[in-house]
This record gives sequence, C-alpha cells and structure tokens, in this order.
Amino acid sequence: MEKRLIKKDALVGIAKKMAEELTVWAPVKKEDNVLFTPLTKDAEPFFAYLNSKNAPKQVFFPHTETLMKYTRTPKGMVFSAEENKAGKTVLFGVRPCDAHSFVLLDMLFDQEKYKDQYYITKRNNTTVITLACAEPPYATCFCTSVDGEPVSADGADIVLTDIGSEYLAEFITPKGEKLAKYFGETKADAVAETKKKEIAEKAKKAIKSKIPAHEVKPILDNNFEHPFWATIHGKCLACGTCTYMCPTCHCFDISDEAKASDGVRIRSWDSCMFPLFTKETSGHNPRISQKERWRQRVMHKFKYYVDNFNAIACVGCGRCVMSCPVNIDIRKIIEDISKL
Amino acid sequence: MENIDTKLREVAKRLLLEKKVDVIIGYEKGTLPMTATPCFVSTEAEADKLVFNDLCTQNLAKFVHDLITNHKNSQKRVKPEDRKKKIIGVVARGCTTRSLIIHLQERQYGRDEVYIIGVPCEGYVDRKNLAKSLQQAEILDGTIEGGQLKIKTAAGDKTVAFKDVIAPNCVVCRFNNPIISDIMIGSPAPAMNPDNEYSKINEFEKKSIEERWAYFTKEMEKCIRCNACRQACPSCYCPTCFVEQSQPQWVGIGEDKTDTQVFQCMRLYHMVGRCVDCGSCISVCPMGVDLRNYLKKIDKDCVELFGSRAGSSMEDMPPLGKYSEQDKEDFIFNP
Ligand code: SF4
Ligand code: SF4
Ligand code: SF4
Ligand code: SF4
Repeated sequence: MEKRLIKKDALVGIAKKMAEELTVWAPVKKEDNVLFTPLTKDAEPFFAYLNSKNAPKQVFFPHTETLMKYTRTPKGMVFSAEENKAGKTVLFGVRPCDAHSFVLLDMLFDQEKYKDQYYITKRNNTTVITLACAEPPYATCFCTSVDGEPVSADGADIVLTDIGSEYLAEFITPKGEKLAKYFGETKADAVAETKKKEIAEKAKKAIKSKIPAHEVKPILDNNFEHPFWATIHGKCLACGTCTYMCPTCHCFDISDEAKASDGVRIRSWDSCMFPLFTKETSGHNPRISQKERWRQRVMHKFKYYVDNFNAIACVGCGRCVMSCPVNIDIRKIIEDISKL
Repeated sequence: MENIDTKLREVAKRLLLEKKVDVIIGYEKGTLPMTATPCFVSTEAEADKLVFNDLCTQNLAKFVHDLITNHKNSQKRVKPEDRKKKIIGVVARGCTTRSLIIHLQERQYGRDEVYIIGVPCEGYVDRKNLAKSLQQAEILDGTIEGGQLKIKTAAGDKTVAFKDVIAPNCVVCRFNNPIISDIMIGSPAPAMNPDNEYSKINEFEKKSIEERWAYFTKEMEKCIRCNACRQACPSCYCPTCFVEQSQPQWVGIGEDKTDTQVFQCMRLYHMVGRCVDCGSCISVCPMGVDLRNYLKKIDKDCVELFGSRAGSSMEDMPPLGKYSEQDKEDFIFNP
C-alpha cells in the first residue's frame, strides 16, 4: 500500500488544488455550522472541525433528487431520464464513522436484489478521503460499540491520520491511489507507521461512551410487544431531526411535482419519526403513535438491519444524541433495553 | 436564581397523592451535561426527578395539548357516561401560561383539564449562544451559580456570564411570571427589559427591500425542512398541517428554495396574534434559522395595529378571533 507524509498546513492547499479539477466536498464553516459543501472560491475547507453538522450521506443520497422528467403531449406521455451531472467527485475529510456509514448504505442501495443506479453512479464517481480521529471529537462518540474505530480505513479510499508533526496518508484502494499525485512525494517510513498505530490505540481508549449494541439483538428479537416501548416517546416532537442528521438513515419518499404539462418525479428524504410516513391513502396508519415510530427506529437500526445485512445501522457518531431538541438519547435507550 | 426544586417536588407529590392531577409535565436533568429536558411524572416516586432552572428551554404547553388531544381521541369510542376526565398538571413559566391561554381561548380544552403549577422565570440559557461563546467546544460538565456558568469544556475551563448567553426572547420578556396559575412556587422573578423588545426589528425595517430579501433568502437556505420548529410550537397544533396536505398540495416536499420559503411564510402567518415568543422553535432548529426576526415583526404589527399581545390575558381575545369596529382597515385600500 502506498503511504506518504504530508505537512500539516498543506491539507487545505491539497483540497483546493483538487477542487480546480474535480468536485470536492469538504467541511466548510457556515456561520455557526460546519457543513459538507462543494468547495468554490467562497467556500474554504475547514479541517479543524470536530464533525460536520450534517452527515455526508447527502453526496450520494441527496435530500431531494430528480428521478425522471415527463411531459404530457397530445400523443401521450414522453419520459426522459434525469442525466447524472456529477462528474468525478472527492469527499475530503470525512470522519471514520461517516465513512463506515457508506459501507452500510452500500449494503442497501447496491445489493443483489436491488441496484439503485442513482446512488451507485454517484458512489462510484466519488473518492472518499477520511480524516481519522486522532482525538475523538466528542464525549458522545461511541463508534467502538458499533464495529467502528476512531482511526479506521473502513469505507475510505484514502486515510489521513494526524501523527503529530505530519499527516500520514494511506492509499487504501486503487481509486485512492489515482489521487496520489496531489499528496507530494515524501514516502512514509516505519516510524510514521508505528506512530500511527500508537495513536490509533490511544484514540480507541479515549472513547468513553459505550453501548451494548450487539447485546440487545436477542432481546429485540423477542420483545416487539413490551411495556418498555411506551416509555421512550412521550416527549418526542416527531420532528425527524435525528433521522435527517443521521448518516445511516435512508428512508425516502417519491412524489411527482407537475407544472402544467411538465412534471418531475422526485425522491426526497422521509423519516420514520413523521406521523405521515406510514399513513395510508385510506387514512389508516399502522404506526399509530410515536411509540410505534420509536420502536421502528430502534428495531431498524439494531435488529432488522442485522437480520438483513448482518450489520448494525448505527455508526456511533452521536449526531442524534446532540441534535435531539428534547434530549432523547439512543445510548440510554439501548442501555435500558439491555437490562429488560 | 432561587432553587425551587424541593418545593416543586413536594407540590407535585401532593397533587398526585390527592389525585388532583393524573400526570405532571415538567423538566428533569438531561443525559448531556448542562441540559434539562421535558419529562412526565405520574407517580410520587418519579416526582423526585423534577427540576426547574435556567437550562429548561422547551415550552411545555405543547405537551399539554398533545396529551389532552390523545386522551380525547382515546375516549371517542367510549360511551359518554363512561368517559374519563384526565387532568394534566404542567410546570409553567410566563410564556408557557401565555400558550395555555391561547389554547383556552381557542377552545382546545377546558380550564378544569389543566392544573397550572406556576414558576417564576429569569430567562433560560440559549444553547446556540452558549456554544458560540465557547467557540463550539463541547461541554463536558458545568454549574450555574450567582449568574455565572462555570463550564468544563474539551478546550479547558471557562466562565461565562448568564446575561451573555441568555436567550434573546428572554432578555425582552414582558411576562416572565405566570399570568394564570393554580398554585405558585417561589417568589416572583424581577422584571426583564421589555422596552427594547422591538429594537432589532426597528433596525431591520430600515433596511432596503433588497437587503431584507437577501437576508430572508440566506436564512431560508439553511432550512432542511425537518419541521422541528412546527413540532415544538404550542400554537402549531393542527391535526393535519398544510405542509402535509396532498389534495391540493400547497407546498412541495423537496428542497426547492421557493417551497421552503413558502412553507416558512405560511407557518409565520399562522402565528399572527398566536406567537408568545417562547423561543422553542428557535431553540429546536438544528440549522439555526433566524425565525424570530419574522415572528417578532408579526408580533409588533399585532401590537401596533390591534393593541394585542398573544396570550397576555384570558379576556383579551386574539385579534383574528374577534371583531372590533376599531380594527384598522386602511391597509385594505392602501397596502
Ligand atoms: S443513530 Fe445516532 S449515533 Fe447512530 S449513526 Fe445515526 S445519528 Fe449517529
Ligand atoms: S430528534 Fe428527538 S424529538 Fe425529534 S423525532 Fe428524533 S427523537 Fe423525536
Ligand atoms: S412560533 Fe416559536 S416562539 Fe412563537 S409560540 Fe411558536 S414556538 Fe414559541
Ligand atoms: S426547525 Fe429549522 S431546519 Fe427544521 S424546518 Fe424549522 S426552520 Fe427549517
């Protein structure tokens, strides 16, 4: 595997250089938020960030996406595919938990039974550059409980690790190697590698928040009906913030928007927290209250995904924990379930 | 601020014991450092978690409406003579009681269905303001004493003055003590500074149309249409919001700029004479959209045109809910 060393202050320059030729999404400071945004002249990368407010999943699975267009003509409907304008793209400076989320999303959008071309095209076009967490950014991070690590190559094409004086750049995949030319010529030595290993161990130990994510699976298997489910949701606002911020939540809605005889079919994010999510045309709603909706959120992440893909659909980023306006803490819920 | 937790818990226990209420909506300590979160207390033992302090943000009237509506729906199929009444207790500061008044004026439930435990309020900490003054460093622990927040952050210890991080709506609050209550806990809080209530709006009004439009566009671009603002608002209680109606569809559900602007404009106009400036919508917004600028402008217009402040008394009916010959109508001819 190709490994190089780059100077600490060179990172911004590298991202900007890439942005001259490719579409580069990187963390950008916008007022009080750090958001993944395509770099432009007015959008400078900001790598001294903890983690981005929004999850980078939007690069592959945007909030709103046109699936196709149609026009009503006297001779009938004429359909046209939405051409994919996304050329070569780089996702620069993703945290390892978020890179892990791409692996989880791949299991769903790119599987044997079903291939989502909209997602796959963007995914194949994109090179993921991970900025490892030499120091875990938040006390709420719990990646180690859900098969992740603060310094990890999961889902990454290139991994950058802060080893003190420099960044160690590891080119994990051929896709990553193609971008090697941007990273200078300094080859990494064995010292750098040892240092990285130390840092990785230290970072892993620094994760203090732990949840029994694997332990709850057999309990969930047997407790679809349990009085516990009535104790979580009382204060839930059904706002969907948790799912919109979550890197692994991927439920969507499809709707048509028509103007006169022209229309577009769009796919947009939806949320199991919204009452409308399961409401049927008849007016009947099988998930009648927030209780059933919260059970679905827990079940989907910690049981159904495990049943379907043998993976937990949570990467421990803590975004839902920090963004929930009424402090519903998934860590506590999993903890409580493990004690049922 | 005076610690009223012990008194609050005593009162809550007594109310539950005497069956004066079925459940009490209050606040408890959150799982994240320096937070408080809404909670529901229906047994005496649970009452021991109740707190009321400068970290309590959410307007609890929203939950009163939710609980009563759910209860009424559950009674629909019960014979009228067998229907049970449910009494909701609520820990309420000034703005919460204003929202309760709005519910009562809009005949959402009867005065006998809610038991108001009034608490004095000196304002709450604005989390976004606090995060800003800590340069977004994560809060690991902290205390509030004597108007000072002593905070342990990932970037070291910091002391912040409460007055520097108090929510902007609290600074100018006119009704920080409960307007109506069944029992009061603690002594009334000192008055805030309502004289400057509209100073920011006055400044904003002086800007050109282009500048105002640019600001509106910039703010609305941040919105991700999660609907948290609507969900947190006690005045947003329609069983089906216009956003979710599909026949006809009033606004698209996607990220289209205009749809977002229309959604926000429509919600804002549904707040005429109904927004109590509790700040709940602003505090829950994950993206930090400046909704207050517009809500406050609408409030100012209501005061100037109709002399009405939302939920300020049981007698003063909301301007859109009453007819008065003195109502201004010149705008009809001269927009
Ligand atoms: S469930 Fe919460 S902690 Fe887990 S991946 Fe989603 S936002 Fe992150
Ligand atoms: S963010 Fe919190 S309040 Fe909003 S839907 Fe999720 S759990 Fe409920
Ligand atoms: S619009 Fe916002 S500030 Fe006004 S009452 Fe609703 S939640 Fe409170
Ligand atoms: S809470 Fe904020 S982001 Fe969500 S819909 Fe309201 S304004 Fe938009």
